[in-house]
Amino acid sequence: VNDPHRDSGAPTFTASHDRACDDPGLLTRIGQGDEDAMAAFYREHGRVVFAQVLLVTGERLLAEEIVQDTMLAVWRAAGSFRGESSVRSWVIAIARRQTRDRLRGRRLRVVDDAFLADQPGSGPGPEAMALDRAELAEVRGAIRELAPAHREVLGLAFGSGLSLPEVADVLEIPVGTVKSRLSAARTALNRVLDEKGKSR
Amino acid sequence: MKADHADTHHPHLDLGLLVSHAAGQPVSERVREHLARCEQCRREANRWNLVADGVRGLAAAAPETAQPVRRQNSRRRVPRPLRHGIELVGVAAALLVLFLGAGELAGFVHVHLSTSSTGQGTALIAVTGCSQVEQADGTLEQVNGSSLVIKGVTGQTVTVRTTATTFLSMSGALPSEITDGASVTVRGSRSDGTIQADSITVGQPSSAVSLPGSAPVQGTVADASSSGFTLVTSGGTRIPVSTSSSTLVVIPHATPGQLQAGGSIVAVGNAGSDGTLAARAVAALYQFGSGPRLAASFRVRDCSARSIDDALGAISAMPWG
Repeated sequence: VNDPHRDSGAPTFTASHDRACDDPGLLTRIGQGDEDAMAAFYREHGRVVFAQVLLVTGERLLAEEIVQDTMLAVWRAAGSFRGESSVRSWVIAIARRQTRDRLRGRRLRVVDDAFLADQPGSGPGPEAMALDRAELAEVRGAIRELAPAHREVLGLAFGSGLSLPEVADVLEIPVGTVKSRLSAARTALNRVLDEKGKSR
Repeated sequence: MKADHADTHHPHLDLGLLVSHAAGQPVSERVREHLARCEQCRREANRWNLVADGVRGLAAAAPETAQPVRRQNSRRRVPRPLRHGIELVGVAAALLVLFLGAGELAGFVHVHLSTSSTGQGTALIAVTGCSQVEQADGTLEQVNGSSLVIKGVTGQTVTVRTTATTFLSMSGALPSEITDGASVTVRGSRSDGTIQADSITVGQPSSAVSLPGSAPVQGTVADASSSGFTLVTSGGTRIPVSTSSSTLVVIPHATPGQLQAGGSIVAVGNAGSDGTLAARAVAALYQFGSGPRLAASFRVRDCSARSIDDALGAISAMPWG
């Protein structure tokens, strides 16, 4: 089922599939210097990590560098993986730290806007959701305009194959805060869509 | 309502369950049934599905990472294993981009299969991003001529009407469809002159059904048995083909009469005012064994008939189970 050699129609596997190859044994082999294992690891996780980093940074070149740094860190630290989390959440947590370090160096803040990100929005009520009228292409465009912390939590929840507790582990916040951040992200998304709708 | 323990005293699903559902995480049948009954929760689920599809669409549109990093003033050298990895992921990413297709993404057909039941709990559900296009999935209850009756997880049924132009495919563990004289296309690996078949297309191939594997070999079936057959090519060459319980058999141009009740089925088309679905495309799936619950989303490029055919063709090409 994981073989991606298919033409159009494009299966986009949901979490249950992505996790099928979440193999800690791969990290053990990487820790022993197994090149094939590193290649397999990259195949398994590289694209998801890249998509998540790109979603947060919005810059392809920067995202590529962060992914490379992340994979270097995996190569060096694979032996220290203790299996306390899934492999996917472990590598995404590494990528998040790499991203944070890079953005901090550029005087951009991802983590610090988390406070605002968690605050309840003042958007329209459920009966007036712009989301109800939005097309998928509009939603994609609106997600790009969200604050990094909102993009980050949406990417982790829906693009990375992580469960909510795993998202909480990666973000180092309680599950309840993940939920409130997701809710705030959706409110912000609705606001962006609403403003775009009014401007048309 | 908490996790997978549906609380009948609590009227609505909590955010965690809605997010898990949209993320494709396993949720209980009781949650699905609640979604089928509760319009407010279904509306909320649809909103979260749209958000999730937006994120997935962005991830799918992410460019490949194959290019060497153009880092300036870097003293670090990428170790050979990582360079190897980058090269390999480049291949994988390129394929992914290829099969995701270029251009704008329109929507997704979401398919959920399990050993016990299928479907998302309602008779008809919208195809994300494609207004006017809806899908029905579940178990094939019966075939009445050109009409199919699909039963969803909650027991609701929907009648699906097919026509001569409906793209109707069936796939899965279908060894009985490989009979002497059948025209087939075989993909697999060769060993000692025998092809170990990974997949077999019966009848005319379809551009909508793109199967993986090495170069296909076409021919006619002879000496069919439970463990394989002889493939006779147009030049008269006879090639032994061995099949197994995991060989995927695909019939891209099936007829309603070929479909067997009890199988999983997905239909996409336009809903009529009478509650029936005029199907553009149908995929009947006969799973291998009793695998785990599976869920996948299939992109619809532009909501056109061809794009819907392609999405259902991709569903047919999946070895579910």
